[in-house]
Amino acid sequence: MKKAIILLGCPESPSQTPLTIYSAHKLTEMGYEVTVASTPSAKKLVEVADPVEYYVQNKIDIESCLDNLEEGEFDLLLGFVAKDAAVSYFVTFYHILSTKSLALVFHRDPEKLENFENSVRENTNADIVSARAYHNPTPLRVRLDRALDKIDKEGDS
Amino acid sequence: MFCLDTYLRESEDYEIHMTRSGFKDCARFIEENAPEVVHVKPGEKIVGARIIGIPPVPIGINEEKGTIMLPYTKPCYGTATVEVPVPPEERENIRVVGID
Repeated sequence: MKKAIILLGCPESPSQTPLTIYSAHKLTEMGYEVTVASTPSAKKLVEVADPVEYYVQNKIDIESCLDNLEEGEFDLLLGFVAKDAAVSYFVTFYHILSTKSLALVFHRDPEKLENFENSVRENTNADIVSARAYHNPTPLRVRLDRALDKIDKEGDS
Repeated sequence: MFCLDTYLRESEDYEIHMTRSGFKDCARFIEENAPEVVHVKPGEKIVGARIIGIPPVPIGINEEKGTIMLPYTKPCYGTATVEVPVPPEERENIRVVGID
């Protein structure tokens, strides 16, 4: 079975938790076994949103995950990038895993959004989904759907 | 084996030069202030911790003080630049994994 890892950033962006649940659902439908790597505080939000682990069964602490991560361990990296630190984490996971990757870049400030997007583009070959977003997950969700459809079709071909 | 996370929790003789900063600012600080700079790949294990950042990640070495200076990133707190004393063999290990 294909394996995907969803890398969460700082949980202060309201869009992150619903989009985590949504992404996990979409990736499971695409045939991936999904693992969510996060800080303890981001994990708590996912646990409350999905109390019986209907959408997310595998959760791992981001630090211990990083310590033991090996190249090729996952077939897909999907990372939330809404802070400077999240750019660093995403780029680091990308370089260790050397696998198909998708960055969900979002911020309410257009300048920061562009800065994060450029940093991911300059330092990885990851696909990038980007939107000016904070509370409203729809702009990112629509672009995420398109990006996942593309990955799904690439997998079929 | 030296472990950075444990060291930062249990010791006091380290210096924090910058805190809650962006990675690029911390990297620039190391480039401009360390007597010797070794660049490593992100994800490289340095003093027992995976180094997090944008490649090439600078690690400063000060042989005279017996310290290294490195970016230290946490998801909610951004990147700090920390300078910690490490044994000579750890400084040599960094040079071995350098990509310069």
